[in-house]
Amino acid sequence: MDVIVSRSGGLAGLRLTWHVRVDDQPDSDDWYVLIEQIPWSEPPPLPPEPDRFVYRIRCELQDSAPASRAHDATLAERQLTGPWRKLVDLVQDRTEPERAAPTRRPTR
Amino acid sequence: MQQIVPPYLLDRIAHAAGPRFPLAAEAARRALLREPPARLGIEPLHDLPSLLPDVPSSPDRRISDAEGRESLPGRLVRREGERATGDDAVDDAYDGLGDTHRMFDRVFGRDSIDGAGMPLEATVHFGDRYDNAFWDGERMVFGDGDGEIFRGFTDSLSVIGHELAHGVTEHTAKLRYQGQSGALNEHVSDAFGALVEQYSLGQDAGAASWLIGEGIFTDQVQGRALRSMLEPGTAYDDDVLGRDPQPGHMRDYIETSDDNGGVHLNSGIPNRAFALAAVELGGFAWEHVGRVWYDVLTSGRLPIDADFDRFAAETVRSARERYGADSGEERAIARGWAAVGIELPAPEA
Ligand SMILES: [Zn+2]
Repeated sequence: MDVIVSRSGGLAGLRLTWHVRVDDQPDSDDWYVLIEQIPWSEPPPLPPEPDRFVYRIRCELQDSAPASRAHDATLAERQLTGPWRKLVDLVQDRTEPERAAPTRRPTR
Repeated sequence: MQQIVPPYLLDRIAHAAGPRFPLAAEAARRALLREPPARLGIEPLHDLPSLLPDVPSSPDRRISDAEGRESLPGRLVRREGERATGDDAVDDAYDGLGDTHRMFDRVFGRDSIDGAGMPLEATVHFGDRYDNAFWDGERMVFGDGDGEIFRGFTDSLSVIGHELAHGVTEHTAKLRYQGQSGALNEHVSDAFGALVEQYSLGQDAGAASWLIGEGIFTDQVQGRALRSMLEPGTAYDDDVLGRDPQPGHMRDYIETSDDNGGVHLNSGIPNRAFALAAVELGGFAWEHVGRVWYDVLTSGRLPIDADFDRFAAETVRSARERYGADSGEERAIARGWAAVGIELPAPEA
């Protein structure tokens, strides 16, 4: 499983992405336990606060693992508590962020 | 008393030194009073406009220190009227809030964020090497920066003005922080942040940098600021940060789900319209485009989910109301919008 955290927004509007391959981690079992603890369907939308960060956290499966283990959630910075915060801290601790340009889909 | 400073210079200091050097401006004005107006070739003082940029306002500032934690408000360390603490972040926030309060008060007649003198609260040293500043609905919050890309966020007056302006928007037009209305919310903060800086420097539109966040990058970053209102997309171009992604025209509008729909990106489009109009009109931007934009914010006519077209139409309408139909102000503002790809329907007669 891959865990991908992207942080957008902030006063500067810069986007950072952290990408961890869970199976390459020496403590991968602990990662899976933590990921199971997260209430993935729950974060209720919060009114955005100007200039605060927005976090998108994805767990993506490689190959044939059951689809129920894929996750995708978007959280306001203020919602990043408990196991959410623990997962993001862990990801940020294990890997350096990539700075990526925004996904550009011009309309006009 | 011997007069060493020539009258033309005194005149300039009295008019333009602004709140940055209030004592100098006041002294210059007093010195001018002693000179007979005929010799100076200017109007006597009592004919000057009543809104002089350096008249002090009465803010009620409260600066707290989060001491590196992410909890708010933190410990109150400097209240209104108390002397400088020696902590640059605290004192820069205190001074910046004072400059911002003064512009809103003296230029727009607005006493504080709510127009009723509410305390200006800020927290500094938020988090550990925290790379951001924000408005949480009650207070402005400033991180120290990581020291590699960002130095502290209180180093830039336009950033302090930007955060406080989020509070003003929340108390007036309440622009929803998503998509185009969110980009307008960001734009309004950039516009008033830039005006606060220009006002404190006594700078006219032609001399202004139109940069937001000048001085918050470290020397290692190839860049001047976070954003350029006049030339979006040119504020930085750096190996690590990449290139400033802001568009300055509707043809480059960015659709994205990041950042509440790209609110910090697409704000480049109205930013450029505002700066172009200000530069075309010349003189002090807070005296014309600033007034028009403030009128729009406080008119009660702007929907909270206004898009760029609606906002642009409201600015032109407010310019007509304030300066008259087909005034230079109305035309410059319409031309600013046209230059970024927002064509307005011809105004009804
Ligand atoms: Zn903002």
